[in-house]
Amino acid sequence: MSKITLGIIVAGLLWFSYSSVSAVYPFNWSTLTKYYKLFLDGMVTTLQLSVIALALAVIVGIAVALARDSKVNLLRDAGTLYVWFFRNMPLLVVILLVYYGFGSAVNVDRFWAGVISLSLFEGAYVGEIFRAGIDAVPSGEKEAGEAMGLYKSQIMFSIVFPQAFRISIPPLIGQLVTLIKDSSLVSVIALGDLTMKARQVGTQTLAVFEAYIVLAACYLVMTSLVSLAGRILERRLAIP
Amino acid sequence: MNERKVILKLSKLTKSFDAQAVLKDVSFEVKEGDVIAVLGASGAGKTTLLRCINNLITPDKGEVSFKGTQVQRTKHSIRAFRSRVGFVFQRFNLISHLKIIDNVALPLVKVKNMSWADARKAAEIQLGQVGLADKLNNHPSQLSGGQQQRVGIARALVMNPDIVLLDEPTSALDPSLVGEVMRVIRRLSSEGRTMIIVTHEVEFAKHIANRVIFLKNGEVSADCSPDEFFDSMSEEIAEFLTDLSAIV
Repeated sequence: MSKITLGIIVAGLLWFSYSSVSAVYPFNWSTLTKYYKLFLDGMVTTLQLSVIALALAVIVGIAVALARDSKVNLLRDAGTLYVWFFRNMPLLVVILLVYYGFGSAVNVDRFWAGVISLSLFEGAYVGEIFRAGIDAVPSGEKEAGEAMGLYKSQIMFSIVFPQAFRISIPPLIGQLVTLIKDSSLVSVIALGDLTMKARQVGTQTLAVFEAYIVLAACYLVMTSLVSLAGRILERRLAIP
Repeated sequence: MNERKVILKLSKLTKSFDAQAVLKDVSFEVKEGDVIAVLGASGAGKTTLLRCINNLITPDKGEVSFKGTQVQRTKHSIRAFRSRVGFVFQRFNLISHLKIIDNVALPLVKVKNMSWADARKAAEIQLGQVGLADKLNNHPSQLSGGQQQRVGIARALVMNPDIVLLDEPTSALDPSLVGEVMRVIRRLSSEGRTMIIVTHEVEFAKHIANRVIFLKNGEVSADCSPDEFFDSMSEEIAEFLTDLSAIV
């Protein structure tokens, strides 16, 4: 009931703002319809970019988490340094460094420059997620593995990783949502993602406000769907 | 009468944590069929002793010999030894993402390289013997503490160990659930299983054990039969028993 009430209030507020803005800004939605394909293209690119970057970020994250939990001091320090660097660096700067920095030395494709920037950057966060997951596995269960006579690697693969992975799913899905949002920054290197396409549509049609409203809606739809899928996956894999 | 074989021999096990000596030169032999209750006040080193035996805690000094051979501190030697020694934890420590049957099958698959199918068959039999044949496909969190501990015992027994170490197997249980676990342990002793039980339950010591080892400040201060122990006139044992009955 309260959700319905809230919905009505929000819808009312939106309608009110829209109609007040309409008085001074003539909304023209019809010009946008011709450009729906550009939005679709942009969404596909954004999704491709995000999914590939997440897959790579997971690999980076596993490496970072293992390094930070390692017994070898050098590896542990390297992992800490990595996380420190990328967590204290704006993503936009990382993108500029990779595309214009490395790009001036070697030829880097825009798309892959975007993928590399995002996966290096998000990898630091994913690493922290995995590390928290590994640390959350009860130490008694690892001990039980030891007492059975399992090797360290068997304890990791049979006891620790399956549970750490399940524990990591909700924050990992959250990170994918963040990644989709962060990916809008790659538009600065003219990678044809959703944000850049919306800007193109805006300048071509002069319906700037409309284009950005559609842009916002597209992101909301994508991120909400990912969250929903994540919740389903989480429930599927939950340990009773 | 046939002399029973010595299965386990501890020589001068010593362990300190932060300069605090927890075990001091603990030595004793365990013979086949022995059921030893390790008693002592909190902090006397009981759990540390048990953990030092199978190297969950590495002792600072001292040796463990298994069937006449010293257990080396190498990966393979420790693994081989552990696969012959069952360990039952106070807090069960079942693997939470695995079903009950797989919890019990796991050591067979990973240590004895059995197939999952064969291991599950053996696990099913073992779980039947502790009265959990109807819980095979449940997860640990769906079981009561007493049931979880019986799974813990089945997991230790499925390897058919030469000796079972039990670390306060009933202390984490509701009083109403202690009985079901006690019954299983009593059955093991009647089957002639060699066991070392760290416990606060005087009942264990009186009725199940054939030997009591009393630890005080990390040292063996008595090693005798339960009858001798409970009839003892020794001041420290009397004091311990009074404290114990005060708690209970």
